[in-house]
Amino acid sequence: MKSTGLNKTGELTSHFFRNEYGKLVAVITRYLGSEHVETAEDIVQDALLQATKHWDLHGIPDQPKAWLYTTARNLALNALKRRKHQRAYTFHQTNGTFEVEQLPFSEELIEDSQLKMMFWCCHDSIPEHSRIALILKILSGFSISEIANAFFSNKETINKRLVRGRKQLRNVELDSPNEQDLNHRLQTVLKTIYLLFNEGYLPAIKNQTIRFDLCLEAIRLAQLLSDSQLIPKKADIHALLALMYFNVARFKSRVSKTGELMDLREQDRSKWDKELIQYGIQFLDRVVHGNTLSSYALMATISANHCVAASYDKTDWERILSLYDELLLLEQSPIVQLNRCVVLAEVKGIPSAITKLKDLGTQTDIHRYYLYHFTLAEFYKRDQQWLASKLAYEEALKLSENPRDREILKKKKQALVPNSSSQLS
Amino acid sequence: MKEFLLLIRSEESPKANLSPEQMQQHIEKVGGYLKRLSEEGRMKSAQPLEMTGTMLSYKNGKIVDGPYNETKEIISGYYHLLANDLDEAISIAKQDPRFEEGIWRMEIRPIKHVEGIN
Repeated sequence: MKSTGLNKTGELTSHFFRNEYGKLVAVITRYLGSEHVETAEDIVQDALLQATKHWDLHGIPDQPKAWLYTTARNLALNALKRRKHQRAYTFHQTNGTFEVEQLPFSEELIEDSQLKMMFWCCHDSIPEHSRIALILKILSGFSISEIANAFFSNKETINKRLVRGRKQLRNVELDSPNEQDLNHRLQTVLKTIYLLFNEGYLPAIKNQTIRFDLCLEAIRLAQLLSDSQLIPKKADIHALLALMYFNVARFKSRVSKTGELMDLREQDRSKWDKELIQYGIQFLDRVVHGNTLSSYALMATISANHCVAASYDKTDWERILSLYDELLLLEQSPIVQLNRCVVLAEVKGIPSAITKLKDLGTQTDIHRYYLYHFTLAEFYKRDQQWLASKLAYEEALKLSENPRDREILKKKKQALVPNSSSQLS
Repeated sequence: MKEFLLLIRSEESPKANLSPEQMQQHIEKVGGYLKRLSEEGRMKSAQPLEMTGTMLSYKNGKIVDGPYNETKEIISGYYHLLANDLDEAISIAKQDPRFEEGIWRMEIRPIKHVEGIN
């Protein structure tokens, strides 16, 4: 696959700069040595800046990619030459395997470097939050303020995560995982990508564009893994890709024209992206033909069931419930239990779902999580137990820390009861 | 139609802090704006200027370097365009997407025409 960076109408392909940033940083870091990753980032930022300066008044060249690579290569060569003067004695050791004067940027080398970079940023020894921040900064070309916006956080917090991550990176080697730890390390990478996706997918009104980009970026990273020849077993990668495609297909239908958040029941299903659903189905098919059953595969199958249902009422709730039961066998998590209760409400009715949810609240510490009370509040509302619903919303509000969640909860609570006490039960 | 010179002024490296995505958006927005102006036949030329250069002046009988402006602001590019009058030139300048980034200043100067000379 050879792309020039221009689409048919001569405009830059979308996210061209962002994607090229990640590729170039990955390759140049290999040439400079992993301890110089920040120099590589500066070099690439500088190359993009030069491109911007030339292109904004002169127009985009016919081969933007080649233009960019030449500029980046020259900047990298300069950095290497400077270092040669400074530390001639180590130069041959660190760069002995490369034809330094040429610095080839082949497609294979780019792909391989990106993969190594992904495994590097997702090393077990790096805290989860830092992994996501590192990936987004180094491999996806997001700026610190873009990451902060996407995470509803602030620049200081994100910066702290990056600094912590970079410090840890110094103890980790930039290499391909060997066959023994490949699967284990792949799981960590997949989990990081999944968290990254979820961060973007969280329901919220604000920062729609950047969060949608986050979801697409997670898909792009998983796609890189899926295309790689280094990884023989790809079932989990395909399952995760299917899951992400099914969800991202519904991304834009979650906010109404008037800017209200819509849940699954309220969404206009004609707005779901059929093409993305189709991609999801293709990947899921590949998983089904294998023999392994992962939580990603089960979650993807659950999503697939939602995607193909003609309406909320026509959803095959019993099938989804049994998929949740299977998921629980793999993953005994209270969050999965909580989600299962929502499905249980459709299959067995609200009262039994409330009973089940309350049991769950006494058996686990999920009652400390705002979504537990939110779900309970929604159940009470549908059961017309207005006061209980109001109290549960208030409990959820008390426990939610994020202003985004609080805003949604407040709206839901306000919309609860017409202001008449006679309706309070 | 009258001719105008629009001087784009900025601090040293106004785009340095943009993220890759923002850089791309910058190119696309400015590119679209310039393309539209050329298609309307209003844009005679648009050029970026290198951030380096020198300033010469005549002092005490000889040519010397400087003085340089005390501010870091320099002219980073120019447009040479056609408009009916200054008001129209201003309104065209205001549409420049650069202003959305808030890091630019634009000086708008009518090119002086003297009867019989240019």
